[in-house]
Amino acid sequence: MNDGPASSANPAALRETASDACLRVENLHKTYALGRVKVPVLRGVDLSVAEGGFTAILGASGSGKSTLLHLMGGLDRPDRPASGVSSIRYKGRELAGASRSTLDAYRARETGFVFQFYHLLPELSVMENILVASMVRWGLAWPAHRGAATRAAEELVEHVGLSHRKRHRPAELSGGERQRVAIARSLINEPTLLLADEPTGNLDQKTGETILEMLLSIRAARRLTMVVVTHDERTAARADRVVRLVDGRVAKA
Amino acid sequence: MYQFLLTKRYLVSKIMPLLAAVAVILCTAMVLVVWSVMNGFLTMLISSGRTMTGDVVVSWPNAGFAQYQELIDDLRKEPLVKAAAPVIESFGLIALPDGAKKTVRVRGVEGPSYAQVTRYEETLHWRPISEPVEKDVDREDPRLHSISGTSWEEVLDNGRRLVRKGESGRVEPAMVMGIEVSEFNRRQIGGFYVPQQAYQALPNGEYAFVDLFMPRDGKVLLSLAPLDASGRAVEMVSRNLAVANEFQSGVFDVDSSLVLIPLEVAQDMLRMNAARRVVKDPKAKLAAGDGFDDPAEKLVEEPARVTDVLVRGSMDVFRTQDAMQLRAAVERVYERFAERHKGVVPPVHSINILTWEQQNRTMISAVKKETVLLLVLFMIISLVAVFLILAIFWSMVAEKTKDIGVLRAVGASSAGVAGLWVSYGLAIGIVGSSLGLCLAWTIVANINPIHEWLGRAMGIVIWDPRIYYFVTIPNKVEPDKAVIVFVAGVLSSTIGALVPAARAALMHPVKALRFE
Ligand SMILES: Nc1ncnc2c1ncn2[C@@H]1O[C@H](COP(=O)(O)OP(=O)(O)OP(=O)(O)O)[C@@H](O)[C@H]1O
Ligand SMILES: [Mg+2]
Repeated sequence: MNDGPASSANPAALRETASDACLRVENLHKTYALGRVKVPVLRGVDLSVAEGGFTAILGASGSGKSTLLHLMGGLDRPDRPASGVSSIRYKGRELAGASRSTLDAYRARETGFVFQFYHLLPELSVMENILVASMVRWGLAWPAHRGAATRAAEELVEHVGLSHRKRHRPAELSGGERQRVAIARSLINEPTLLLADEPTGNLDQKTGETILEMLLSIRAARRLTMVVVTHDERTAARADRVVRLVDGRVAKA
Repeated sequence: MYQFLLTKRYLVSKIMPLLAAVAVILCTAMVLVVWSVMNGFLTMLISSGRTMTGDVVVSWPNAGFAQYQELIDDLRKEPLVKAAAPVIESFGLIALPDGAKKTVRVRGVEGPSYAQVTRYEETLHWRPISEPVEKDVDREDPRLHSISGTSWEEVLDNGRRLVRKGESGRVEPAMVMGIEVSEFNRRQIGGFYVPQQAYQALPNGEYAFVDLFMPRDGKVLLSLAPLDASGRAVEMVSRNLAVANEFQSGVFDVDSSLVLIPLEVAQDMLRMNAARRVVKDPKAKLAAGDGFDDPAEKLVEEPARVTDVLVRGSMDVFRTQDAMQLRAAVERVYERFAERHKGVVPPVHSINILTWEQQNRTMISAVKKETVLLLVLFMIISLVAVFLILAIFWSMVAEKTKDIGVLRAVGASSAGVAGLWVSYGLAIGIVGSSLGLCLAWTIVANINPIHEWLGRAMGIVIWDPRIYYFVTIPNKVEPDKAVIVFVAGVLSSTIGALVPAARAALMHPVKALRFE
């Protein structure tokens, strides 16, 4: 099995995996302060994700899986560690100390997020919920990309099987349908990295399986790198690689 | 761009911010209504003030100046001048038929020339009318009915010429007084007057009943204080004058204190007419055979004088700069005139040449200050709208925390998220201010019917013509003021949205996503 490359005890292995790793995190720390009590959540996470791979992150509730995913997605910044430096590298670019605008651009262009609770904007229709991500990405240049983006959104809606619900509001959709909209939204900007935080956690088993199949087929078709946080062993079983978070670190297999 | 899409959606789906828009509507409408009405009030004040004094006045008070007819002829040749008229300004005392005495401003005028520089003829109140004035629903206006002993046509004509037929049937010079001077007329809500009975207090404590209509049978004793040729006051001169008509300029101050008399009468009573007079001249040497005992006394030929020449511009000189241009033209004409009559008339640097606005600076600036004061007060009230928007947006940002997190997750910058709320505030401002402008325009355009309805339905008469002396409330909205109010409304809504926008911008994306 190839789930233990993060060990610095084997420099040769490290070098070997580093060559095809597109996302590498090293020595990540995150501590939350609850009043005066400090809650250390991540205590030196090392992990590398191969390009085009499907990595599943498992761990007990509260073990810091979401926290790690947010760090990898550029939504949060790691703490400065007591020893050494922490680093998040995506395709050779360092994100740990990057400027806000670099992180904004990274989120808009490179990553797509899928959340457990869908997080659709309630005032917007299905199509608009997908297109809003494209609007965010292009900013004032959006009108020039409007046609292409609309066509891409139509295709995505088609692909996730919601062509007949384009004008509906999220409140009028089932949980599975909402998650399919969220998946379409995460793909509209053609990201290279798909981050999903318990994408099936809020769905019944059968719907969850459909969603998982959909994600897998999309990954294959688009050659996406995919990191999925999950509780579900069956999801983990489909992954190329499974990482377990224990005590704020990646557990050795 | 997502900001516009979300703003559009929020605008139609959220109730609270629409309440903020209502606050903006009310505030902008309120400010614009007050501003328009007060400004209209000022405009009316200035134009009704000009109805009695013309646009520019050349004035040398008390002593007056000679050769005025020549000055008037010169002025009439000036293209900027439409007409000029000689006038004498003085103060006097009148005794009314009920025994009341009043100090008044006395103006000696020639009816026709005075009517050319002012709107004098239009101000003559007693005249034939065929239709009742707008608010006179019960046809109470006496001018609608015939008058015994004379006719309204004759009263109007008497007013124009400042004459009245005496008992002997002879036409005599007569006075036209401000309609509020005698206090024998009662102003009605509709803006017309009804003569009322006056009572004369008797020494025994009883009252005698004075029933007369001034322009038909009223006589007034007018006393003036003339100056002798060396400028010293001499004994008062009194003369009984019939009343020809009464004028209503629309400004209470004028209508209650000004009386007009024929120019010759004023010149005569004030010793300003052309005459041969004996004057004391300490420097004069005794000339053989002039027949005076005192060597300082001599007989001189004095020309007629007036204190003022009123000028009317050939265009409408409502704007200050136009009036100043006319004033400059008048000054040039006067300069040449004074050059020709050196030593006889006041030189150009002594004489007063003033526009109407300069003459009435205090009154106009009082109204202007009042307008500013009211506007400041209402703008302070409008701050409430700013805080309302701030509060509503603050809670909306809280409600939309998760959406903000989602937008950040798909790549929105914190400035972009702030922009969403600023553009939302802008949209509320534009919608609110536009509707506010429409509301203000509707109110101002219909302010008189609305006011009347208030009066009828609830007995509220806010604009009492007996206080404001304008029959109708000004009902024009000036476009430039509307634009200023619009911009201010949009700006203040945007400012109200700034603080909540900053809150949204400072929100941590992960915390926003985890928000429950
Ligand atoms: N803002 C915060 N302040 C304090 N503690 C926090 C904060 N955010 C997260 N935590 C804590 O950090 C720990 C890790 O949270 P995280 O959401 O990453 O866990 P998780 O592994 O995703 O759990 P789950 O499987 O239940 O989603 C939790 O114990 C949580 O209470
Ligand atoms: Mg989690």
